[in-house]
Amino acid sequence: MSATENTEHLEKELITEVDTSAHGTEETAHKEESPVTQILNDLGDHEEFSFGPLHADILPVILYDEGQFHFYGNRSSMEASGDYVMEHHHVVRATDHQAPDMNLSITNMVAFQWMAMILLVILFFTVSKKAKKSGEKAPSGVHNFFESIIVFVRDDIVQPNIAGNAGVRLLPYFLALFMFILVLNLIGLLPGGHTATGTIGVTAALAITAFLVINYTAIRESGIGAWFHHLLGGAPVWLAPLMIPIEIASMFIKPFSLTIRLFANMVAGHTVLFSLMGLLFVFQSFFVAPAIVGFATFINLLELLVAFLQAYIFTMLTAIFVGLAIGEHSHDQEHAH
Amino acid sequence: MEGLGLFGAGIGAGISVLGAGLGIGRLAASALEAAGRQPEAAGDLRTTMIIAAALIEGVAFFALVICLLMAIA
Repeated sequence: MSATENTEHLEKELITEVDTSAHGTEETAHKEESPVTQILNDLGDHEEFSFGPLHADILPVILYDEGQFHFYGNRSSMEASGDYVMEHHHVVRATDHQAPDMNLSITNMVAFQWMAMILLVILFFTVSKKAKKSGEKAPSGVHNFFESIIVFVRDDIVQPNIAGNAGVRLLPYFLALFMFILVLNLIGLLPGGHTATGTIGVTAALAITAFLVINYTAIRESGIGAWFHHLLGGAPVWLAPLMIPIEIASMFIKPFSLTIRLFANMVAGHTVLFSLMGLLFVFQSFFVAPAIVGFATFINLLELLVAFLQAYIFTMLTAIFVGLAIGEHSHDQEHAH
Repeated sequence: MEGLGLFGAGIGAGISVLGAGLGIGRLAASALEAAGRQPEAAGDLRTTMIIAAALIEGVAFFALVICLLMAIA
């Protein structure tokens, strides 16, 4: 009696065990197999610093879970604590394998942004020191290079779109925006580098600053009343029920499209590069390799163009939106008669 | 059924790229024509063209991101 009960129990346990293990392997196999997810995973963000062959477990992990913060020096100390484990490159709870409420870790992309910031601060302090020293003399070297970029941002991006005092006041913002995006894009093109602008969080944060600048400048330049008046879009008052939702939507669509444009451009180029490199491993032949390397080099050069172009377009569109937000009032009145 | 989803994503990506290609092609053709008629305005035309191309490209990327999400999910 007890023996049969025992075997029954054992059988049940075995069945459930086989069930769960089969389910588990099936799930992992499905996740690991798909090349699309593999490529996207390589392009994505991680809780580990990596630059080419260099992998360093030096970034702190910060989690907010069940009402309290958890700080860990790095990923392995987090795993050593036993509360959280890594699963498919994601941090999950050790108990129920669910993601923590909020993962605020200093990730790889954050580290790359810090690298870009440090680089820019060093470069611009060098340039400003040189500019002060050289005085009236013609600029040379690194000073010359950056002065041409600064003049380009001022004369080709900011001044034509934002008239008067606001353009002068906003120039540092646009310069920082342009240089920051450019440096992030270019770091991503270094062998082994990661493109922080290829993560949607980074581009979304940049677009949120653009959103704030657009609306702050509009309110500051033409007053809160004019800002509300813009919501009519210049149409007669009885069209307000139609115009106000459209104008409010367009206010949010602008930064949204900025976000998607930069993100998708950077991801698309890198996905094409990854796919071309993947062909090397598909064919494994000496005859195909030179053609693929040639194509990859061409795409890399194209990416160099895209890196400049996207930094330019993001800054340019932000400048245009600011200009529209300021000038719409007088613009409407011109058209009213 | 999963295959059908991938099929839809692929076709969607193809159509959206077709539309963007047509749009940017027309844009570049008109800009070149205008620059040919009035070469001194070529600089302004280039700037305006790049911005319009970016806007078209942005719409195409919306579609592509949706297709990509369909393919992964």
